[in-house]
Parts: sequence; C-alpha cells; structure tokens
Amino acid sequence: MRLQAASPLEMLRLTRFPPQWRRPPAAGVPAKNVGFRKVASGVSSLGSASPRSLNIFDRDLKRKQKNWAARQPERIKFDYLKEEVGSRIADRVYDIARDFPLALDVGCGRGYIAQHLNKETVGKFFQTDIAENALKNALEMEIPTVSVLADEEFLPFRENTFDLVVSSLSLHWVNDLPRALEQIHYVLKPDGVFIGAVFGGDTLYELRCSLQLAETEREGGFSPHVSPFTAVNDLGHLLGRAGFNTLTVDTDEIQVNYPGMFELMEDLQGMGESNCAWHRKALLHRDTMLAAAAVYREMYGNEDGSVPATYQIYYMIGWKYHDSQARPAKRGSATVSFGELGKINDVMSQGKKSQ
Amino acid sequence: MSGNGAVWGRVRSRLRAFPDRLAACGAEAAAYGRCVQASMAPGGRLRKDLCAQEFEALRSCFVAAAKKTLTGGR
Repeated sequence: MRLQAASPLEMLRLTRFPPQWRRPPAAGVPAKNVGFRKVASGVSSLGSASPRSLNIFDRDLKRKQKNWAARQPERIKFDYLKEEVGSRIADRVYDIARDFPLALDVGCGRGYIAQHLNKETVGKFFQTDIAENALKNALEMEIPTVSVLADEEFLPFRENTFDLVVSSLSLHWVNDLPRALEQIHYVLKPDGVFIGAVFGGDTLYELRCSLQLAETEREGGFSPHVSPFTAVNDLGHLLGRAGFNTLTVDTDEIQVNYPGMFELMEDLQGMGESNCAWHRKALLHRDTMLAAAAVYREMYGNEDGSVPATYQIYYMIGWKYHDSQARPAKRGSATVSFGELGKINDVMSQGKKSQ
Repeated sequence: MSGNGAVWGRVRSRLRAFPDRLAACGAEAAAYGRCVQASMAPGGRLRKDLCAQEFEALRSCFVAAAKKTLTGGR
C-alpha cells in the first residue's frame, strides 16, 4: 500500500535525504529508479497531524529487500534466526491453555511461526507481509492459511476479528510503532492475545561498535549502520498506550558465531534485514570494511577465530480487555496481611477447607 | 542501470574474496585491532588516522594477498 506525499512541497522536503546516492546495486536490487524516486511513506494522514508519525525507515526499500531475499536461490540457509524465534513464539502460544480459531501473523516472512503450530491450536491463519515473494515462497505448514499483502501499519481487517495476533521480528522496521500496535489491538477480539518478538537494543552491538570505531579511525566520523531499536521500558509503555492489558515483556539473547564480519553482513542481507533507514550512508568504503573486520575479530573474536554476533530478542505478550479477565483487587479489600506470610501454608489450607 | 546484474555480480564476487584475504593477514589485522582497542582505554581518544601505520601494513598485506590469488591461479 502506498501513500503519495501530501503535497509537492512535502515531496521536496522528504527527498532532501540523499536522492542521488541511492544504495548501490550491491544490495541486489535493480536500480531502475535511480534519481528522483517516489516517496512512499507513512506521512501524517490528513487531519491527524500527529507529531509521532516518524519517518525513519524507507518502507519501499524494505519491501524490495525482503522481496529480493525471498527470491534468493539459497534462501533456506538464512532462515535460522527467524526459524528459532518463530519456534519460541509458537512455544508461547502453546503455553496459553486455549485454542484460537482465527489467528493473524503480522510481518510473517515465509511463515516461520505457522509451521510450528498445529491445527488444534490454531484453526485458520492469516499471513500478512509487505513482500509478495515471501508470501509466494511460504514454507510448508499444516494449518490452512490465507496470504494477504499488507503493511504492518495499515492492517486491512475489521475490528474484533482475531483471537490471536503474532508478530516475529518485523515490527522493528515499522515507522510508527504506536500506531502499528494500536492497529493490532483494534483487530483483536476482546480477550484476544498478541504475542510479538522484536529485536532489542543490544542486538548486533559488536557490529555496531566495530563499524563505529573503524569509521572514526579511517574517516574521522561515523554514521549509524545498525537501526535504532526500541528500549524495553518503551515497549511496555507502547503496549499500554495501545490499550493492552496484562503485559509481559521478557528478553532472550541468541548468540551466533560467524567466520568473520563479512559473512555476518552477507547473512543479514540474506535475511532481508539490510539497513533501510533514510539517514543511512549509502556507501561503505572497502577500507572501512576491512578495518571494521579487523577490529571486530580483535575485540570480540573467539579463540577458534570465529566472531560472535548477539541478537537480543524482546518477547511481548498483551491481552485485549475482557470482563472475564482478572483485574487488580480494589484498594482496601485485603483479607490477609503480609505479616502472615510466614504462615501462608496454614492460611491456604484454611481457605481450601472453607470452600 | 545494469539490467543483467553484471556490475553487482562483479562487486559481490570481489567482496566474497575478502574473508580469505583477511585470513591471510591475521597478524596485521590483530595489530590494527589492538591499536584501535588501546585508544578506547581511559585517557585515550580515537581520532582519524590514529592507527594509520597499522592500517597501511594491513592494507598492503591485503593487496599482496589479492595479487597472489589473482596470479597464483584458481
């Protein structure tokens, strides 16, 4: 889904980000529209000139990158991270003692979550992604699915539709995260649950630091190459603001060892996780890359010569309000005091006897 | 621009050779890395070309490794 910029003036303003230094074809994208490109972005919709409608990421480019990644002949070898996180999300779905007739996967990629779930837990699965090639090359799964091409910020579903919404490692490319979470809350049924996974602040900190140091030493300054991630406290606030109840946020770290920095960068590109921020520098000098690889190995390398890369994942669970859900008790309604905590066994057995 | 991806293919194949050539220059790379790491110690300040010498050594080793693989046959 594309939104044209609201006015020619706005179009001019947004293309101040280097239009002529498009990311070189090294990204694997046919550079058909080098030069003046159409600005497709979530620019504030008419009426709600919300100051929070940020525009950090080039969604058009992200779609192209994901399309490219899904079309690669060896795409399976880049799936390891998303498979792992997908299976951990599926674990969390299984942990909930319920089954979900209708579920939605936002930013599904090739369907990493759905393939770990079974027909008893999820009746029907809607898979949405911005990249059509990912949907076309979806992995095998036993649950009946419907593929929908949709942007995470503009879900084309009615209110109160889904029992379950999942999202694995795709919300970190969304420009307006509060809005995306609100949309998810909107399409959930009351007493529905949202389980999501996003990358945390420590992700790829080795790569970020090595590039930063090498660029400073080689070029005298540095520009960000790894995207900004949401902090864990902000996640809680965002979920609360979007209307979710009973929030849970937990974190996990996956460390993957690579032969070197270049292999790591190649894998990131193969996963469709290349940088697409507007303010990215389009060119990374070979000298800088060489310097960064040397710094990476020296500062973070393992004994066997490999280098680790850390992926920090935040898992969040939020529920949509329903009367049947447990609520915090009213102030002053306590029947037991904390002072009796040492005798809690007696208190509990008394309670059981009286039932 | 390039319809058949010829330029991209060339650039990628050159980049793919980087890890092997870097592996051949392990000592110089380690020296450069140590120099940069030393500048992070308290009191040090990393600025442009602080480790230029070490980098030049790394770069010439790298170029030499490149020439060797090119001429030494595949």
